[in-house]
Amino acid sequence: MIERLRSMSPPIIVGIVGLVAWELVLQVLQPDGFVLPPPSDIVASLIATWDAIWIAVQSTGFVIVTGLLFGIAWGVLGALVVSWYRLADEMLTPLAIGVSAIPIIALAPIFNAWFGLLSPRSNQLIVVLLVFFPIFINTTRGLTDIDPDQIDLMRSYGASRWQITKEVRIPNAMPFFFTALKISAALAVIAAIVSEYFGGRQDALGPLIVQNAGLARYPDAWAAVLAGSLIGIGLYALARVVERFAMPWQTAVNQGVEG
Amino acid sequence: MTGWTKRGTRLALLLAALAMVAAACGSTDDTTTTSTAAEAAPAEMTDVALQLQWFTQAQFAGYFAAVDQGFYEELGLNVEILEGGVDIVPATVLASGAADFALSWVPRALVPREEGLDIVNIAQPFQRSGTLQVAFADSGIATPADLEGKIVGNWGFGNEFELLAGLRSAGLDPDTDVTLAQQQFDMLALLAGDIDAAQAMTYNEYAQVLETVNPDTGELYQPEDLNVINWSDVGTAMLNDGIWADAGRLESDSEYRETAVKFVEASLKGWIWCRDNPDECVQVVLSNAPILGQSHQTWQLNEISALIWPSPLGVGVMDQTLWDQTIEIATSEQILQAAPEGTAYITDIAQEAVDNLKSQGLDVVGNDWQRVEVELVEGGN
Repeated sequence: MIERLRSMSPPIIVGIVGLVAWELVLQVLQPDGFVLPPPSDIVASLIATWDAIWIAVQSTGFVIVTGLLFGIAWGVLGALVVSWYRLADEMLTPLAIGVSAIPIIALAPIFNAWFGLLSPRSNQLIVVLLVFFPIFINTTRGLTDIDPDQIDLMRSYGASRWQITKEVRIPNAMPFFFTALKISAALAVIAAIVSEYFGGRQDALGPLIVQNAGLARYPDAWAAVLAGSLIGIGLYALARVVERFAMPWQTAVNQGVEG
Repeated sequence: MTGWTKRGTRLALLLAALAMVAAACGSTDDTTTTSTAAEAAPAEMTDVALQLQWFTQAQFAGYFAAVDQGFYEELGLNVEILEGGVDIVPATVLASGAADFALSWVPRALVPREEGLDIVNIAQPFQRSGTLQVAFADSGIATPADLEGKIVGNWGFGNEFELLAGLRSAGLDPDTDVTLAQQQFDMLALLAGDIDAAQAMTYNEYAQVLETVNPDTGELYQPEDLNVINWSDVGTAMLNDGIWADAGRLESDSEYRETAVKFVEASLKGWIWCRDNPDECVQVVLSNAPILGQSHQTWQLNEISALIWPSPLGVGVMDQTLWDQTIEIATSEQILQAAPEGTAYITDIAQEAVDNLKSQGLDVVGNDWQRVEVELVEGGN
């Protein structure tokens, strides 16, 4: 327990020092640049506009979580298929790369036209597309980048393809998958918020940020940004917890190394 | 030899990167500085930039007319008109110094002012508000209370304040009792049925519906097909287009104040000219934005004139009663946190401009102005 606290203390100290410095610098300098308000103003605004922010968090949060889950599902499925069939790899991977290269800005208005302005589908699809690629690429790597000796050994035992997948490929892919998952958590937040810039409900984090910034209500804009960041951080933490459960051996090794 | 080449390549790349950064940072737009009379010796013209709050259209006819008819030039001003757009908030453009004057609806400028922008209203040509909420007649939406539970489109960015005030005055909570939808600056969402009520201006989007063919009848939509909630009738309308200036600069820079008087005088003269010469005025607007349709702009100028004339105190001079009414609505319906601190509007500049115009024999009140009948055609051409 003490060990864990001690390992958490450096980032906490850095965080507190950073916040205090930010607050003091702005209080002392009092620049005309109200574009970046001191943390006290941002937190005060978060509390004052909590009702609106909470509604927006639910609206955007729903899109983020559902988009993330579907993106993960499709990414993992795609990776499995590609690891089993060479042909699928040749067809699917270039397609995935092509789709991932299309900017959201081009897709968002098109999806709005397809699914209707107020439907969450268009936003969810943007999130899915952004989450899919890192998950797919990394998981594929993890499933296929195996020591050939291990495969040979399994084959010599007469293992079926599914057994090889379950015993060798999947455990190997776990670290790759979780790396991608942590990246995707942040991407999902960004994708959802940006997709909201292109029309739709106004009770979401994207419009809240953009419109408050446009009216020079910077503390309110930053409060909404903070809310978005907290969602991202929360998802990242959740990914870490799931990782610890899924790969207990990894955690044990890390702790052992720390000493 | 190999070592030098490696280092040389890295150095070359670093220099190239620095050059690109320098080029990106170095390009500045220097068309908007206001030069003092001493500097602009040859022609004694002062450069002025005006930030519109939307794209070029008859809503700003007076300013384009003032350019076209040489009213600004007569007074020694070289005016550049900056078009507005979707994300452009005129108050912030003004405060950043990128424009010398800006047009903005009063509440839409007072909110940033409350956040610290040092701007002040120096003239208020639009006496009345043209903001509407439009729904189809068969939707059952006729009053603000009917909007409960409905999908209500609005443009955001400060354009929705009259709507929010109207909802609150009907006892509705805009956050929970209605679904607010970001509406594009057209009526397509209403026509497609994506939203139940759309934001529209009397002089623009309302006419866009009337210029669209009704698929059920094969004819253009008629006014009877629409229910209109006029915020002026509801009582939560707030002042629309006003001319705003940099408050700090007005106090410290006497040249700027002189420029402001000249700018307002010539602008108001432009509006008077447009009132008295509507057809030519429409042509001036069209020459600045050829893509616009003539009949639509004729409608627009007609409706804009209804917002300006008559101006009992003289065009552009702020009526304290109207200002107080706007502030009362804004504060009680939580658009502003409190009444504006300090001086949010001044009348001396506009008064001086109006006096100058009166001494030129111009009619600054416009009591005789009448709306004309404008026939709309499909597409507004």
